[in-house]
Amino acid sequence: MTKSLRLPPVFQPITYRAFQAGADRVVNAIRPTLGPLPRIVALQRPLDGRGPELLDSGGVIAKRIIQLPDYRADVGAMFVRDMLWRLQEQEGDGTATAAVLFQATFNEGVRMVSAGLNARLLQGYLEEGIQVIIGELRRQTRPVAGPAALTQVAYTVCRDSELSELLGEIFDIIGDYGRLEIREGAGRTLQREYVEGIYWERGLFSQQMIADWTRVRSELEEAAIVFSDLRVHQPQELLPVLITAVQAGYRRLLLIADELSDSALSLLLANNKPEHMQILAVKTPGYGQEQQADFLKDAAVLCGGRPFLRSAGDRFTSIRPEDFGHARRVWADLRNFGVVGGRGDPRALRSHVASLRKLHAETTDLVLRGKLQERISRLLGGSATLRVGGVNVREIEERKALAERTAAAVRGALQEGVAPGGGAALLACRPALQRCLDAAGEPEQRAAYRILCHALSAPLRTIAANAGREPAGILAELQKAGPQHAFDVLEGCLVATSTGALNDPANVIKAAAYAGLSSAALALTIDVLVHRTEQPSHALPPAPGKRKQL
Amino acid sequence: MSLTAVTIATHLILTDLQSIHALAASPTFAQDGLCCAAGAAGLRLSCDGGRSWRDAYASLALTSPLTTTAVAFSPDFVHDRTLFAGVPGGVLRSHDAGATWHVAALSSPPPFVTTLALSPHYVEDGLLFAGAMEDGVFRSWDRGASWAAWNFGLLDLAVYALVISPDFAHDETLYVGVESGVFRSSNGGRTWRETAFPMECGPVLSLAISPNFAADGTIFAGTEAHGLWMSTDRGVTWRAVTGWETPGPINVLILAPTYPRQPSILAVTDAALCLSHDGGASWQVQRSAELTGVTCAVAPSDLQPGAQILLGTNDGCVLLCMV
Repeated sequence: MTKSLRLPPVFQPITYRAFQAGADRVVNAIRPTLGPLPRIVALQRPLDGRGPELLDSGGVIAKRIIQLPDYRADVGAMFVRDMLWRLQEQEGDGTATAAVLFQATFNEGVRMVSAGLNARLLQGYLEEGIQVIIGELRRQTRPVAGPAALTQVAYTVCRDSELSELLGEIFDIIGDYGRLEIREGAGRTLQREYVEGIYWERGLFSQQMIADWTRVRSELEEAAIVFSDLRVHQPQELLPVLITAVQAGYRRLLLIADELSDSALSLLLANNKPEHMQILAVKTPGYGQEQQADFLKDAAVLCGGRPFLRSAGDRFTSIRPEDFGHARRVWADLRNFGVVGGRGDPRALRSHVASLRKLHAETTDLVLRGKLQERISRLLGGSATLRVGGVNVREIEERKALAERTAAAVRGALQEGVAPGGGAALLACRPALQRCLDAAGEPEQRAAYRILCHALSAPLRTIAANAGREPAGILAELQKAGPQHAFDVLEGCLVATSTGALNDPANVIKAAAYAGLSSAALALTIDVLVHRTEQPSHALPPAPGKRKQL
Repeated sequence: MSLTAVTIATHLILTDLQSIHALAASPTFAQDGLCCAAGAAGLRLSCDGGRSWRDAYASLALTSPLTTTAVAFSPDFVHDRTLFAGVPGGVLRSHDAGATWHVAALSSPPPFVTTLALSPHYVEDGLLFAGAMEDGVFRSWDRGASWAAWNFGLLDLAVYALVISPDFAHDETLYVGVESGVFRSSNGGRTWRETAFPMECGPVLSLAISPNFAADGTIFAGTEAHGLWMSTDRGVTWRAVTGWETPGPINVLILAPTYPRQPSILAVTDAALCLSHDGGASWQVQRSAELTGVTCAVAPSDLQPGAQILLGTNDGCVLLCMV
């Protein structure tokens, strides 16, 4: 036995009971938050001694549950927590749906396995059934457009009218790949602004390059741009740039370099005379050579010209007039610089953006996906900033986190469409499962489809119960009305799904269904629990994983 | 096929504009005969259907000619007497049929305005758009008093043509023809999306949208060197118009006001007038020395036989033609 295994392993039949107890603890804590009329979960804050934290987000609640006292149940709790945390990070929402789907599937599965079915076979058939569900959800998906529809999607996530309306407007403008920065604001309200062109978070090398001290920034019109990640130590290294610029008649120059020595900077400042030549110098955006190379590639496509790469052994000695990029306008301050109207080849830019979009759609790596999203959004030429205010720091932080989650969900809805919400889309998958059940022969196969048919009604039941309504009656009503209907718990009546009044982001529904059901299927195959004492890793977020293409 | 279908009238009017960039006719041209010609040397107004012209910028007392690159009348001109003129770096507006002018600057560096388009519901929404050669699309919400660039998603800022859906109040759709094809906005110009127009077939110099766009979703695009294209699904997919055989850049496209009931299309290249009465399946082409260098055109009424067309050339002439 290794040093870390101080507690005895847990075997069947205790494994299922212990796992179930832990998972139920987490799911039952999150369950009340599902639906448009959620209950609040109060979490004590032992560390700062202040009042309890009032939460209605399943993902946040899951993050706050660090450890259960019973080490056997803790494994189940952490299994569910990890699944929900990942879902929250990926899609921004859907954790409560995933939690109840997990619980319904796992508990019913345990019953079946306990009755003698093979867990591994059952898992395999559950996975088959999950693919049927994903296919059915995909069939129900339709595109979303317009500020009103986007506001409605945002509202289903955040239930904050002011925030929903602003996000609806913003995403209507910036589109599915557009750039949105959510920042803490100074006032008490939400404010948004739109920025023309593209900007990066890297500022001027010297404040002596600031020309307009009222706005603390400099602007160059019809600027020539040198893109590089070179480290310039000697002023002589810059002379070819200045000489070539002068010879080519470029009177306004933006130099992008990774480093400039004091003497090199002095040379630029000495030559920065508006009557002869205006020069701005900013640091190459990005951390590390890979990010900087991405920036240089994007910028060169956007503005034309040739990037000078350290890794390729480039030097400015070989610079030619055609190596300069050009833009209608560039600006820089001490923290950022931007380009408006890059003069690259528009066809090359469109092809480049299309290839990045294709990569973004195909990749399953979440980190790469995030980077690609950022690169695409920059190249689309415009960004929005949402400033989140509040009465105190905590409120601002919480509302900012809510805005970030909601923005992720709305972006997902724009990219992948919407499907009927309120559990209706999941419920509408049942006829397809029933057909599979009718055709099934193996006991495990029949059990798998039965489990899934039952589990798919769990979100609707929970939503209704949380709203103080009788789930069985609503299910009967929906069954009678047919699959094109959903139940609006706020109004207490059935509505046609074609009205779009109860839409949820399709990516969230699909991801929640996949995460909850697939995790439960996997959990059914767990036979032994081994407890390790190195617990602090539980407090850390899960490593960014892969995003399943659904 | 090259049949003579367009008769050039004897009226060839020399203006002092050096070259004509844009022509526009009042919505009530049949009654008032009012039209404008914008060119390198300014803006000229005619109150007799183009037969005589006067300087529209007389009240500005300019010391040097003010190049004017675009001009547009308000759809409610008969009441508001408003017209707009695109000049380097700004848009001029007049609320008294060109007697006096107000200036609204666009962002610096000065954009070259290539096209101006007013919302069909301008009276209610006060919305108008300006396309610029290197700066994309500018949008004004306040009847031209202030302007802002709105280029989210517009990956190509070289705008040559801009058309607005006749059903703009409902679909908020507009299209721009750019260097690399056609972009579409379905939210009133706030965001732009690429269409499937093939990039290699750009630039798109002219666009024409069906008056019955809400029902037929038809839009035509004239290119510089790759002929005439059309879409019948609101710009989602495009196909080349097979009957088009005339070489040269298509500078102007005009559809009959009753299209598709009367499926007439007028296409103007830099050397020919081309008219189709069957939605582009076959064309009747008119070539003549006078038609060389035509840059712009306007059909104030319709494309029925006998209808009048005004053409502007790059040597400052206005041709009055009859279909």
